[in-house]
Amino acid sequence: MTALPVASRHWFWARLWRQRGSRWALRGLGLAIFLVVGADFIANDKPLACSLGGKRYFPVGQAYLVALGWSKWAPELALVDWSALNYDWVWYPPIPYSHTSIDHRNLSSVSPFGPQEISSWRFRHWLGTDRTGHDVLAALIHGTRTALLTSAWAMLVAGGLGVLLGALAGYFGDEGLRPPRLWWWCNAVALPFAWFYCWLSPLASSGWFWPWFGLVGVMGVANLLAWWGVRQGWGGGPQRIRIDHWIGRLIEVIDSIPGLLLLLSLAVLLAEPNIYTTMAFLGLISWTGIARLVRAEMLRIRQLPYIEAARALGYSHWRIIWYHALPNILPPLLIVLAFGMAGAILVEASLSVLGIGVAAEATTWGALLRQIATSQAAEWWLALFPGMAIFLAVLLFNYLGDAMSRALDR
Amino acid sequence: MARYLLGRILWFGPTLVLISLVAFGMRQLAPGDPVEALNRSGRGELKVSPAAAERAYYEKARQLNLDLPWFYFSIQPWAYPDTLHRILRRNHRLAQVALLRQSGNWPALQQAQRALIQLRAALAGPSGGGPPSLRVEAQRAIQDLMLTMELPRFCRRAKGLAQQLSEYSAPVSTLARALDQASAALLTSPRRWQLYVPKVVWHGTNNQYHRWASGCWRGDFGVSYVDGRPVGVKLFAALRWTLCLNLAATLLAYALAIPLGVLAAVYQNRWPDRLISWVLFAAFALPSFWAAILLLTLFTDPHLGWNFLRVTGIGEYPVGASWWERLQLQFQQLIIPVFCLTYGALAYIARQMRGSMIQALQEDYVRTARAKGLPESMVRWKHAWRNALFPQITLLGSIFPALLTGSVLVESVFNLPGMGRLAVEAINQHDWPVVYAILLLAAMLTMIGLLFADLAYAWVDPRVRYQNPSSP
Repeated sequence: MTALPVASRHWFWARLWRQRGSRWALRGLGLAIFLVVGADFIANDKPLACSLGGKRYFPVGQAYLVALGWSKWAPELALVDWSALNYDWVWYPPIPYSHTSIDHRNLSSVSPFGPQEISSWRFRHWLGTDRTGHDVLAALIHGTRTALLTSAWAMLVAGGLGVLLGALAGYFGDEGLRPPRLWWWCNAVALPFAWFYCWLSPLASSGWFWPWFGLVGVMGVANLLAWWGVRQGWGGGPQRIRIDHWIGRLIEVIDSIPGLLLLLSLAVLLAEPNIYTTMAFLGLISWTGIARLVRAEMLRIRQLPYIEAARALGYSHWRIIWYHALPNILPPLLIVLAFGMAGAILVEASLSVLGIGVAAEATTWGALLRQIATSQAAEWWLALFPGMAIFLAVLLFNYLGDAMSRALDR
Repeated sequence: MARYLLGRILWFGPTLVLISLVAFGMRQLAPGDPVEALNRSGRGELKVSPAAAERAYYEKARQLNLDLPWFYFSIQPWAYPDTLHRILRRNHRLAQVALLRQSGNWPALQQAQRALIQLRAALAGPSGGGPPSLRVEAQRAIQDLMLTMELPRFCRRAKGLAQQLSEYSAPVSTLARALDQASAALLTSPRRWQLYVPKVVWHGTNNQYHRWASGCWRGDFGVSYVDGRPVGVKLFAALRWTLCLNLAATLLAYALAIPLGVLAAVYQNRWPDRLISWVLFAAFALPSFWAAILLLTLFTDPHLGWNFLRVTGIGEYPVGASWWERLQLQFQQLIIPVFCLTYGALAYIARQMRGSMIQALQEDYVRTARAKGLPESMVRWKHAWRNALFPQITLLGSIFPALLTGSVLVESVFNLPGMGRLAVEAINQHDWPVVYAILLLAAMLTMIGLLFADLAYAWVDPRVRYQNPSSP
């Protein structure tokens, strides 16, 4: 093994870019990211720029500032129907509808090819409207944002867990982790107490985040104490942790749980269904594939000479894992994450189609499909276009993963 | 091998226990009241008087074991009583816990609650005293108090109610005084320190989880909260459809994917391979529920003229149909769902088959076989194909769970009375016994599938030996 870790990363990207077809996947990814970032500028019922009574406004941009609290609407514009104003001149986004705007003249699913009640071709619903008068194209564009952001969020959770646990299992194996006995005791005693004080006692604050924050804090203090105790020489003998074994068992257990069913039953527990929470649950049960990969790669890498050299130089385990080993795992990790994104997009769409774990008013591709899935009807555009969007997104990420694995193999 | 097998089967136990704990824990967090749900479904008898309704509620809850503690032990603040689980109504329990968390004085809270319950009974009885309109108002105030979660508000309202009722005749006025005293004690003599001291309470085996788990062990999964039928019966009826669907899809997928994969591999990088690879790649990304929706629209919309296939009304037959007609009908109804489940797995298997066949065709023994002049078909099917086939068996372990997941959506779209649709319905209706049982059953099926795949692999490929499964 002569390739240095840094160099290996460069050849991967260069090969990926040179490869036939993968440029198209990367361009597709660029387009998807463009839609995610620019959805409000592409499909919005507010004008990009307009002049009203001699004053110039930039309503789309201003909406961001208002949301951030840095600006306020003029009182006459606060609750205005933007399509009903008398402009001096106006510049609308390419699609003059947003995912929330309801076209009252074209309620209850207007066909893309049928007659539409519009003032000019500029306001045509190119892909028709859904059953409540939303423009389908605008909903698709804003649905891209939901689909990609929620899937990325799920992959972030899954990636974090998978990399952490996989790296621990692969790097330390069954023999490598031998903390002093004191460390064991501190953690075993602190955990139930942390649970008690962060969730049950009056110290526990409401919300889901702070108790976990408290848990991390208490466990951190316990570990600091243990560290101090070990420094004082009270550590006791080393106690082996078969971390590879136990993480392997955990992976087996999680893999044998039917994921979608568990996800659905977790999602109905939420008082207010929210797609981000649901997708975080998805991340919590879909990290096993990533962990398996990271573990296997770690087993390979930890035997390489440069890791041995780093150990010989006395670097800490964390430094070796984080700076020396993990960068070398990045290309295969990205491949798994790309396939994972495709899977997560499918799961998000499935949840929206079933209407479980998703807020009723959320704009998703699956929510459009749901309108037609629940009753048989002839609105083919409600079935065709959202499904096509899901299909293309899944295809894109599958292709990206495929292209990356070809670049890695060759 | 036998040792490996035994080890794998022994690990089924802990896995199932863990899954059952997760499933059981979920119910404790789930909103909704199962007893109310059962009563709403018409199984509970309609009781005219509130006292009789309350008695019926308790009886039903006892039947469902809801009056027992949840688990073998609980960790709780010192101030909490050991018998918190005896407050059967979930919203009442939550309200009392909320009050307790602010005061810590359980005896006072218990007295206040007792006074409230007795007041309710006394006001409902014939000797309640006071004008009827005020009585109704007092009843409503009591109901309200039982659900109040903020301590100052509780005390203020209890005081108001006690003052209102103090002019009533004997039992009511004394109870009102007791309520006033108890609610005052909640505020004036709190025992907050007890809230910061943890306590472990041991409940023993007489708890809800133990009863449920040992019932499952005996094959009794409890009764559905929605219609009161045994879960096992509901599940068995649904399982038939799902297994039928999934087995057909698996067989079909393997039967079609393997020749396709071989074909693509033999014509590697020529147009048949390109075509097959692209179609398979697209099919792999095609969401099955979307295909299901499109096909359903295609075959049911009378305008399109494709409604020669009967896809709807699965499981219903015309009266007096012979078994042959039934079979025909069933075949018509299942062909589209099976197709929707099949193509994804097919694409996956065929891609893997192509890869391993290409690899097999580059092996030395294939070159040897060609060199000694064997016909190409012999080389392909006798030498390469058999070796390329082995790894496909392990795919079964991942395909079966994926199919089970896929059938959740496909069954929902086609209204098939299978396990997937049952699961979605049960989840939507908070029918937890059904949800638990499905989770356990699906996990069991998945584990058996994984084990079967491993065993089959070892069986067909004598090189595979499972010695020490935990070593890397």
